[in-house]
Amino acid sequence: MRIAGFICAALGLGAAAVTLAHHSFAMYDSDHQIKLAGKVKSFEWSNPHVYIELDANDNQGVPKDYTIECASPGILNRVGWKFNMIKAGDSITVIIAPLKTGEPGGLLKQITLADGRQFSNGGPAGKPNIK
Amino acid sequence: MLNPSRSARLPAAAALTILALTFATAPVVDAAAPASPAAHAMTGTWNRYPQIDEKPNPKFPPPPPPVGPPPLKPQYLAEWEAQQKAAKDADARGQPLFTDYVKCLPDGMPAMMLGMFPMEVLQTPGQVTIIQEAYNQVRRIYLNEKQIPLDEAEPGYWGHSVGHWEGNTLIVDTVGIKESVKFRNVPHGDKMRIRERIVLVSPDFLEDHVTVEDPDYLTGPWTFTWAYTRLPKYKMNEYVCDSNREYKDPETGGTRLRIGH
Repeated sequence: MRIAGFICAALGLGAAAVTLAHHSFAMYDSDHQIKLAGKVKSFEWSNPHVYIELDANDNQGVPKDYTIECASPGILNRVGWKFNMIKAGDSITVIIAPLKTGEPGGLLKQITLADGRQFSNGGPAGKPNIK
Repeated sequence: MLNPSRSARLPAAAALTILALTFATAPVVDAAAPASPAAHAMTGTWNRYPQIDEKPNPKFPPPPPPVGPPPLKPQYLAEWEAQQKAAKDADARGQPLFTDYVKCLPDGMPAMMLGMFPMEVLQTPGQVTIIQEAYNQVRRIYLNEKQIPLDEAEPGYWGHSVGHWEGNTLIVDTVGIKESVKFRNVPHGDKMRIRERIVLVSPDFLEDHVTVEDPDYLTGPWTFTWAYTRLPKYKMNEYVCDSNREYKDPETGGTRLRIGH
C-alpha cells in the first residue's frame, strides 16, 4: 500500500505500520478516491476511530448508507476538529478512499462541512488526490 | 491546527520561561530526588519527531531509521521474515492481518515509546512517569532502585522499570515484558531486557536510545532511537477503545470494517 509504505518510510520503521495507526490502511483503495455529498445519519466520536454514517448516492445514483472511517478523536482534535461539529442531518461533502471490497464504506481523506469549513483526517490517513 | 512542528519554532523567550518555571519549582517538589541538571526539565508533553510532513530542524537531525531486520537468531529470523511477508501479502490483498493492535490491545514496551500519539513525562520524587495518549498507556520508572530479579518480574505490557540520572540522561532498565507483547512482531523470551538512555538533548528535544537484549532470541543487542519535540501547553486526550468496528473475517482471517451501524 502506497500510503502505509509512505508512513513507514517517513518514520523509519520498515513494516511497523501497525504501530502507527490502529491498523494498516490496506483495506482502502487510496489510488481511486471518490467524492460523496450527502446527509449525515450519525456521527460517533469514539476510539479507536470516529465514524460518520452518510446517506449519499453512489456514482450510479443509487442511495446508500456509507460508513466512513475517520482517525481517532486525539488526531482529529489536533487538526482542528471538535467533538460536536457534525450532527445528524448535516449536509457534508467527503473525499474517501473506498473499501476494496466494494462495500459502501471508506477512509476519510477530506471533509467539507455545510458552512464551508474543510478538514483533513490527520497525517497518517493521507491526503486527497482528487478535488 | 495544532501544528506538530510548532515546538521547533517556539520562541526562545517562551522556551526559557518554561525552563525557568520548571527549574523554579524543582527544589520544592523534588526534594527527595538526587541533584541533577534535569531535575524537572523533562516534565511536559512531547510529540514524536519528525511528524509526517514535518521539515526537520537542521540543528536536530532525526535519528537514522533502523537498517535491515532485527538481529534474531537464525531459527527465529526465518519465522519473522515469513510473518513479514504474510503481512505484506495480506495488505496487497486488501485484508491486513488482524493483530493484537487492531483488537485494541495497547502496544506495550518498547513500542509505546514510538510515540504514535503525544506522550506526557512527569518527574516526581523517586519516579518518572511516562503516559502515552494512545490506549492511555502508563509506565512508571522507579529511580535509584535496584532492578528486581527476572524471577520476580511479573510479565506485563510495560514491565518493571528502574532508572537513574546521569546529567541530562535518564538511564532506564526494564524487564518483565509479556511474550505476546512484541515490537515489530519480534519474538522474545522472559530474559529480554530493554535498556534506554532518555536524553534531554535541549530544553525542547528529547531522544530515547533503546537497546533490546535477549540471550535466547537475539544474536546481539538490537538498537534504535526515537526523537521527540516538546508540545507546549498540550493537554492529553483520553483514549478508551470502546467502539472498535474492525473485526476478523471468519473466512480469510484478515481485517474487515463493519459496515452500517
